[in-house]
Amino acid sequence: MNEEQKARKKMIEVKNLKKIYRMGDEKIRAVDDVSFDVMDGEFCCLIGTSGSGKSTILNLLAGIEKATSGEIILRGKNIVGMSEAKLAGFRQSSLGFVFQSYNLIGTMTALENVELPLIFKREKKKIRRKKSIEMLKKVGLDNRMDHKPSEMSGGQQQRVGIARAFVAKPKIIFADEPTGNLDTKTTVEVMTLIKQMAKENHQTIVMVTHDPTLTEYADKVIRISDGKIVETKIN
Amino acid sequence: MNLWDLLKMGLRNLSRRKARTALTVVGVIIGTVSIVSMVSIGIGINETFEKTYMENGAMTIIRIEQYSANFDENGNWAGESKQVLDDNLVNALRGIEHVKAIAPIIDQSGQLKSGKYTTYAQIRAIGRDAFGEFGFPELTYGTYPSENDYKKIVFANGTLQNFYYSSGRKYETKVVDPTDEKVTFVFPEWNYQKNPRKKDFKLEMNPGKGNFAVMAESDNWEYNSTCYMDMAFFKEIWKEYASTLTVADRKRAMQVLESYSSIYVNVDNIDNVTDVQDAIKELGYGTYSDMQYLEPLQQTSNMIQIVLGAIGALAMLVSAINIANTMVMSIYERTREIGIMKVLGCKVYDVRRLFLYEAALIGLMGGIIGIIISYLVSFGINKYGQPIFAAIMQTSAVYDVEGAKFSVIPFWLPFAAALFGMFVGVVSGYIPARRATKISAIEAMKSNQ
Repeated sequence: MNEEQKARKKMIEVKNLKKIYRMGDEKIRAVDDVSFDVMDGEFCCLIGTSGSGKSTILNLLAGIEKATSGEIILRGKNIVGMSEAKLAGFRQSSLGFVFQSYNLIGTMTALENVELPLIFKREKKKIRRKKSIEMLKKVGLDNRMDHKPSEMSGGQQQRVGIARAFVAKPKIIFADEPTGNLDTKTTVEVMTLIKQMAKENHQTIVMVTHDPTLTEYADKVIRISDGKIVETKIN
Repeated sequence: MNLWDLLKMGLRNLSRRKARTALTVVGVIIGTVSIVSMVSIGIGINETFEKTYMENGAMTIIRIEQYSANFDENGNWAGESKQVLDDNLVNALRGIEHVKAIAPIIDQSGQLKSGKYTTYAQIRAIGRDAFGEFGFPELTYGTYPSENDYKKIVFANGTLQNFYYSSGRKYETKVVDPTDEKVTFVFPEWNYQKNPRKKDFKLEMNPGKGNFAVMAESDNWEYNSTCYMDMAFFKEIWKEYASTLTVADRKRAMQVLESYSSIYVNVDNIDNVTDVQDAIKELGYGTYSDMQYLEPLQQTSNMIQIVLGAIGALAMLVSAINIANTMVMSIYERTREIGIMKVLGCKVYDVRRLFLYEAALIGLMGGIIGIIISYLVSFGINKYGQPIFAAIMQTSAVYDVEGAKFSVIPFWLPFAAALFGMFVGVVSGYIPARRATKISAIEAMKSNQ
């Protein structure tokens, strides 16, 4: 670790994170005492097989699921035990999401989908429209703005998803298998896009994948197995 | 999210399932039309009553007549009985609560003559105070009797219009203006035997003396056909008249002054009429009032309103359930969407508002369309509903059934109905909306993947 990296502040701190599900009398330790840090501007990749608990960790980090115990400190704030309302405000200001299945709203056009986080933030119509158009241009979809998701290919939909995740300029982006439904060529395009956009705005990325080839995009690779960290690698 | 974004999103979601939205709106329309029609008929009937009351001016008046009709337990007529109306009764009446004024009355027949024309004049002698208490019409000429100026006859408009002349085959009628033509008042010859040696009694109407006044035309038939006189003045002229009769008939005539033909009691408030009537009954006197005819009518109208109200409330309840059902379905369909919105930072508060606005929009649309249809229904009731209402009201004190309106939509009703529609929407959308806020984002996003 060089001097520059040391000077960077921690964007995400995870301490002794646990998530235990109850299935009848049986306890399933989906996340078992996990601790790690992600630095500001770092691209962190959680890799593991299906059922390893990597997606659960991501959901816990995003506050979508409640942790059983432990601490998750995002930008200096512990989100464990944060109220729904505060969490929503925190998501608006600091978090962006890219999903495997894109999760676009089917009745809205590409532009409207991208606008959504800004609508929740109560940004003025003119400003949010301008920002959204700009963002769609960046992901190369300026000719698809008025198309609905059903009229676009998977790659195009994921670009809309990326534009939506980045439009509010959040400090942290969570990506859950963002290329899981895409072919190899599109995967490269999408990954390049995510990496490039994060770099431009100095954003932190946490990505979950099972695909080892994607680890080359990451600065830090954390391997998860059975809810535990088995290996941490700095690229 | 700001208001406009919420409304836009709500409208978009409603237009997503047009048929379902339309059907739900139809439910609200039916509910609104039922309730608005119900209220408008209620108001219409009440206005008709009030109009009748205003025209009649007599709803607070209780009449005690010399001859009182008796009714058995089943309300059937069971003959008449004579009751003595004297000053003892007047004093007893003064002791009853809510009695505003008491007017003892003596009725006599009179005749007016103008040249060869004559007319019958019903004369009613009444205490001079009563002229201010019983809703007498305006005068077109002269003044009502007062302390210093009581020697006068107040002519009914109708009486002056009915002068006639008949002899043999000829029959002519004439309207006489006493300010312009000579009019003489006499008592008819057929009641008592005249003493041929005495000079006839007659009273000449003279504008210079101011011994008469003329009432304006009134909707109250009593004021339109009865001439009035101050009681003291009547007693004076009656004594004068009696002195022109034969000795035997003079005695008989003087008995007229010993008791009253009727006593009118004015009650302070229309709501107390029945109470006062009951109190007089306890004194042993039978009474009449327009209220007693109006009461069953009001009961009928109340019943109509209750039935209509029940129909309206039921229709609105069904439409509220309908809205709730639509919202539950809509939320079920959009579970994933709600999850996505939550992950993207949509506040719980906004999720709830989004669904409440949708429900309110359904209610508002139904309310507005319902009001438009209500105006048509109201028009239809007033135009074609006449026979039904006429039948219901026939036995009553509503004289002008033809001109009466049975459905009146006051200016505030459309606004109230639209607000009520919205209110029903919000109330029925509240529980489904709460359910939407409880949707866990993770579960929502797992579904349909």
